[in-house]
Amino acid sequence: MDVEIKLTKKRAFSEKLFHALFLSAGLFAVICVTAIIILIFTRGSRPFMPGNEYGTYHFFNFLTGTFWRPAFGEYGVGYMIIASLFATFGAMLLGVPIGILTAVFIAEVAPSWLAKIMQPTVELLAAIPSVLYGVFGFAVIVPMINNFTPNPTGYSLMAVILVLTIMVLPSIVAISVTSLRAVPTHYKEGSLALGASHIQTIFKVLIPGAKSGILTAVVLGVGRAIGETMAVILVAGNPESGVPTSIFDPVRLLTTNIVLEQGYATGLQAQMLFATVIVLFTFILAINLTLSKIRKKAVRI
Amino acid sequence: MQKRRISDYLMTALIWLSATATASILLIIVGFIFSNGWRLISPTFLTREANDTLRIVNFESESMVTAEIMGDLLVVEGIGLTLERDETYGIKVNHVAADAPGRHALDNAGEIFPIRRGQVLEGINEERIHGGTTLDEISTMFDNHSTFTFRIRQLGGGIFPMLISTLMLIFTTLLIATPLGVLAAIYMVEYAKQGRIVNMIRFAIEILAGLPSVVHGLFGMLFFSRILGLGMSVLSGALTLTVLLLPIMIRSTEESLKTVPNSYREASLGLGANKIQTIRKIILPSALPGITVGIILSIGRIVGESAALLFTLGTFARIPVNPATGNLSIFEAGATLTLRAFIEVQEFGNIEMASAIGIVILVIVFTLNLCSKLMTKKFGK
Repeated sequence: MDVEIKLTKKRAFSEKLFHALFLSAGLFAVICVTAIIILIFTRGSRPFMPGNEYGTYHFFNFLTGTFWRPAFGEYGVGYMIIASLFATFGAMLLGVPIGILTAVFIAEVAPSWLAKIMQPTVELLAAIPSVLYGVFGFAVIVPMINNFTPNPTGYSLMAVILVLTIMVLPSIVAISVTSLRAVPTHYKEGSLALGASHIQTIFKVLIPGAKSGILTAVVLGVGRAIGETMAVILVAGNPESGVPTSIFDPVRLLTTNIVLEQGYATGLQAQMLFATVIVLFTFILAINLTLSKIRKKAVRI
Repeated sequence: MQKRRISDYLMTALIWLSATATASILLIIVGFIFSNGWRLISPTFLTREANDTLRIVNFESESMVTAEIMGDLLVVEGIGLTLERDETYGIKVNHVAADAPGRHALDNAGEIFPIRRGQVLEGINEERIHGGTTLDEISTMFDNHSTFTFRIRQLGGGIFPMLISTLMLIFTTLLIATPLGVLAAIYMVEYAKQGRIVNMIRFAIEILAGLPSVVHGLFGMLFFSRILGLGMSVLSGALTLTVLLLPIMIRSTEESLKTVPNSYREASLGLGANKIQTIRKIILPSALPGITVGIILSIGRIVGESAALLFTLGTFARIPVNPATGNLSIFEAGATLTLRAFIEVQEFGNIEMASAIGIVILVIVFTLNLCSKLMTKKFGK
C-alpha cells in the first residue's frame, strides 16, 4: 500500500516537472521577444530623452532629417524612410501583377506537364538565399542601368526595386497558386455554365475567390521587401543624404543603414541605429497586424 | 462578343508574358551563378584553404640529387620531386614520391609542413624563382646541394574554412533549437489549454517570424556577443539563429503533432501509460517526420542566412579553432559560405568567387528542399 502511494506521488512529481519543462520551452519565445523589444526600445529611445550621456537629439529632426552624417552629429532617417517605402512600393507594383499572372498561368492556363515543372521550380527558387540575388544585381542589373542612367553610377532606387521584385516573385507565385487551386471547382463550373469565358472566369471568379490567400502573399512580400538587407546593400549606393527624386538616384534604406554601421558604431551613433530599428519595427508591426486581420477575416468566411 | 474575344486574347497574352518573364528571370539568375562560378569549381575547391600560406621549409637528401628535364616536367631524382611550369603561378609541384624527404620538411618554427602536389615553388636555397624562370635554370639550382630550403606557397582560393564553419554552426544551432522548438510545440499541443498563455506564445512566435533578420542580428550582437561576452563566435551566431528559427521549429512540430490521431493518445492512456510515457513512446515517434522536415527547413535557413550572422559569427575566412589548443571551438569566429559570398562581392568585387560559392550554396539548398519535399510526400498521407 505504502509503496503504491509513493509511486503515485513520484509520478505526480515527475509529471509536474515535465509540465514545467515544456512550459518554460514555450515561454522561451515570449522571453526572447520581450528581451528584443526591451533592449531595442531602451537603447533606441535614449537619444530623445533629456539627460542622455551622449547628448540628446530631437525626435522630430530624427524622423524628418535628410542627412545621416555621424561625423557631424547629424542623424536623420527621413530620406531612408522615404527610400524604403518607395523601394517596397515599387517592388510590389512590379512584382504583384507579374506574380499573380504567373500564378494564374500555372494554376489555370498552362498545359499540365508545364505546370508540373513550373510549380516546383518556382518553389525551389523561393529558397535561394537573398545574398545571391544581391550578387546578381551587383554584377548584372547595376551595370545594365549604368548604360542609360543620367547619374554617374547605376547604384540606384531602380536597381533596388528590380532586385526586390525578383526576390519576392517566387513566394508571391507559390502562395497565389496554392490559393487559386483552393477555390472550390463548382465556382468555376458555375461561372462557365453561365456562359463566361475561361479568362473572364479567372478574373471575375477565381482571383476574387482566392483574394485572402493572394493578399497574404502580397503582405508577406511587403514584409520581406521592407526587411531585406543583404541583397539591396550591394546595389543601393547607400549615400549619406538625399531624398530620391528619380528612380536613378542612389538610396540608403533603413535596413542597410543598420548593417553598414553596426560593426563599429559606439555612443550616440549606436543608439541611433537602435532608433532606426524602432522605425523599422513600427512598419513591420503594422504589416503583421494587417496580416493577422486578413487571416481572421478569411477564417470568418 | 467581338470585344470580349479581343480582351480575352489580350489577357491570355499578358498571362503568358508574365509567366515567361518570371521563368526566364529566375532561370537567368541560376544560369548566371553557374556560368560565372563553374571555372573555379574543382575537387580541391572544397578542401583548400581560403588564403595562400607562404612557408620557408628545410629538408635534407641522403642520396645524390640530379635534375633532369623530361618534356614539360623537371624530374629531380634523389628527393623524389617532379616540377612543372604553370602559366599563372610559375613553378608548381607536380608529383611527390612516397619516400620523398620533402614529405617531412620542417618550417622555420620546427613544425612539419609537407611538400604536396599543387604547391607553388618560389625559391630554392638563396635563389628566387619567378614567372620567367626556366626549367633549365631551376635544374642548376639543385646541383651540388644535399640540404634544401624551399620557399613554398600553398595556394588558397578554396572554401574549406567556410564549409567547416557552416557545419559547426548548423550542428550547434540545431543542438539548441531543436529541443527548444520540440518541447515548446509539445506544450502548445499536448498541455496548454487555449487561453492567455497560448495566445501570448503564439503572438510572440508571430512577431519573431516577422522580424527582419537585421533586427535579429543587432539583438544577437548586443545580447549574446556583448552582454553575455561571447564576442563573434559560432556559439553567438548559433544562439542568434536559435531565436530566428524558433518559429519554424515550433510550427512544423506543432503541425505534425496535430496530425497524430487522438485515438492514439486515448489508447495509450487507457492502457495505463501516463502522459510523459504517452508523449515519449506514442506521440513523438509519430511526429518525427514533421520534426525532421522542420530541421531540414532550418538547415536551409542557416545556410542562406547572412544579416543575422554578420556581426555574431563574423566574416573571417578561417576555421573556428582555438589558437592555443588547435582544436575546433564554438567560441571562435568564422564565416558561413553565404557570408563569404557577400564579403567577396562587397569588399573585393570578386563576382567569380561569389558565384562559385553560390553554386555550392545552391546545390546544398536545392538538395535540402528536395529532401523536405520527399519527406512531406512520403509521410504526408
